[in-house]
Amino acid sequence: MDRMTIPIGPQHPLLKEPMSFNVTVEGERVLEATMRLGYVHRGIEKLAERRTYIQVVHLVERICGICSHVHTTTFCDAVESLLGLEVPRRAQYIRALLCELERVHSHLLWLGVLAKNVGFDTVFMYSWRDREIVLDIMEGLSGGRVSHAVNMIGGVRIDLDDEHVRGILERFDTLERQVDRALVLVEHERTLRARTQGVGVLTPEDVRRYCVVGPTARASGVDVDMRRDAPRPPYDELDVNVILHDAGDVWARTLVRTQETRESLRLCRNLLANLPEGPTAARARRRVPAGEAVARSEAPRGEVFYYVRSDGSDTPARLKVRTPTLPTLATLPGQLDGVAFADVPVVLAGVDLCIACADR
Amino acid sequence: MMIVSETLSALFSVLVFPGLAFCVICALAFEWLDRVIIARLQGRVGPPWYQPVADLIKLLAKEDILPTGASHTVGAVLPLLSLASVLTAALYVPVAGHVVSSFEGDLIVVLFLLSLPALAYFMAGWVSVGVYSVVGGSRSLLQYFSYEVPFLMALATPAILADSWRISAIVARQPTWGVFTMPLGFLLAVVGLIGKLKRDPFDIPKAASEVVAGPLTEYSGRKLALWHLTVDVQTVVGIMLLVNLFLGGDTSTFVPVAGWAAPLLFAAKALGILAALALASVLYARLRIDQLAQLGWRVLAPLALAQILVALWMVG
Repeated sequence: MDRMTIPIGPQHPLLKEPMSFNVTVEGERVLEATMRLGYVHRGIEKLAERRTYIQVVHLVERICGICSHVHTTTFCDAVESLLGLEVPRRAQYIRALLCELERVHSHLLWLGVLAKNVGFDTVFMYSWRDREIVLDIMEGLSGGRVSHAVNMIGGVRIDLDDEHVRGILERFDTLERQVDRALVLVEHERTLRARTQGVGVLTPEDVRRYCVVGPTARASGVDVDMRRDAPRPPYDELDVNVILHDAGDVWARTLVRTQETRESLRLCRNLLANLPEGPTAARARRRVPAGEAVARSEAPRGEVFYYVRSDGSDTPARLKVRTPTLPTLATLPGQLDGVAFADVPVVLAGVDLCIACADR
Repeated sequence: MMIVSETLSALFSVLVFPGLAFCVICALAFEWLDRVIIARLQGRVGPPWYQPVADLIKLLAKEDILPTGASHTVGAVLPLLSLASVLTAALYVPVAGHVVSSFEGDLIVVLFLLSLPALAYFMAGWVSVGVYSVVGGSRSLLQYFSYEVPFLMALATPAILADSWRISAIVARQPTWGVFTMPLGFLLAVVGLIGKLKRDPFDIPKAASEVVAGPLTEYSGRKLALWHLTVDVQTVVGIMLLVNLFLGGDTSTFVPVAGWAAPLLFAAKALGILAALALASVLYARLRIDQLAQLGWRVLAPLALAQILVALWMVG
């Protein structure tokens, strides 16, 4: 049969963000896949060197449209450690609460994208409907559905009262019921399993070689989770269950993420129940002492790494962001090699790409 | 005078009921119902009743573009041919006992006419030169070979049982509904129909996440409108064919129905099959083309063969 090169992207129904693949197929079999990146490169790291620390918090929030909060949290954490600032416990809890909510909505979004890509519209509709509840909760807390502007250096801008907590818990009841129903459908529908099992396999060796992180690594049986391995308060007080599966295929990634969704909902309830009293922010100086700091967090897609170097002024001398999508991208040509053309969307959805994160 | 009234009544049956106008109205109504059922099952509201009409009018009015290198003539002939063949097929399928024309062997003609759009669909992908269209077109051909054999075999069983290839004779000779005497055949026919209509979960040739819109990716305007209408009419004809062959048309097994109740019963059966198709598209994820081929040849075809053997044994 003839060889054909099928372009996927930069605009294609399969992709939610601009990136580009050229997939060479022979019949339905993929022979080679090459990719091109950089369509959403905004030069954020360089831009950060011209902004004050206060402004950079808002700048890094715009790196990602899904995990915006974890970016600001990690950045603030790095700067706070340069400042030697003790963040109030209440602020830490609120930060963690939003991180976990973000994980829930990111995983639900991902589930919808996967379902859409394997042609399972029902799960797509269910999971995106449920995701709205999380977005509503976040909007109620911060005023923003996607960009929350909650973090500032030294703490958080928002506070919760009892009414907030009660409202969130009420919504959680609905959310947990609906999510459970959707997840039962996901875990037991045989056609979904038939499409995802054995597709896009990453061995633990691959994971270590490419430094893949997050749910993708955990689905290959590699036990990494920054919430447990590099705990920032309050995660040191929470008992985080790290979910592991061995198969390393898209099906295992689905199971990891569905179970993590439930786990995050449990953590949210836990955080709300144990919310300490006290102030929500500590006062931070504008000028940051010279030095360098790193901070790591577990974003929905895996480890986010921030490096900040200060020269003693009020602007960072260097900011380096490493996002979890970056190592995953490197594994894609290998994963796509030899799969059926119909499995290309499944593989691409399976690793949960965030192009805006990777391009910055 | 006789000739005039006969001509008029023939024209009426071809153009209005149960011919063209009825078919098109049914097609649009079924599309709407289908979309609403699916939407409600997925927790959505679904479109208003006039949405299929509005879509059709909008597409008819829009600019008609094909890429450079694609033949406009062939591109226009293919949807016209498909629509004409499914509308012609509709003439031989009784609607609650009303039929435009009927003769021994009309079932075979209907099956042939219902298969033509599949080939035209493949050609449509081929002539519109885009990569997605070509891949979608070759997929549609592979899919055709997977579902068509079990589908035809399943539809042959009622004909064998009734000892006639005339649809109205098969309806008349169903003392009990075919679905009770040959449940397997009915199931296979429904699955085959899903494949024929390229509905979820067998929408492989037009899988949006892989080949955008398959063979129709490059189509727009009037040509696309005709393609959509073809699928809608094909849905109606396919469903009504199954109602006639397996559900006893407008007759009832349990209580005798007559007068106004018979057409209502026919409509209820047709809507029942439509609901089953909608349910199937909500419940399953799309299969891969090799999985469909395996399903077709390893599961459906042997089962259809078994059903035919059982039917032959029942006839004696």
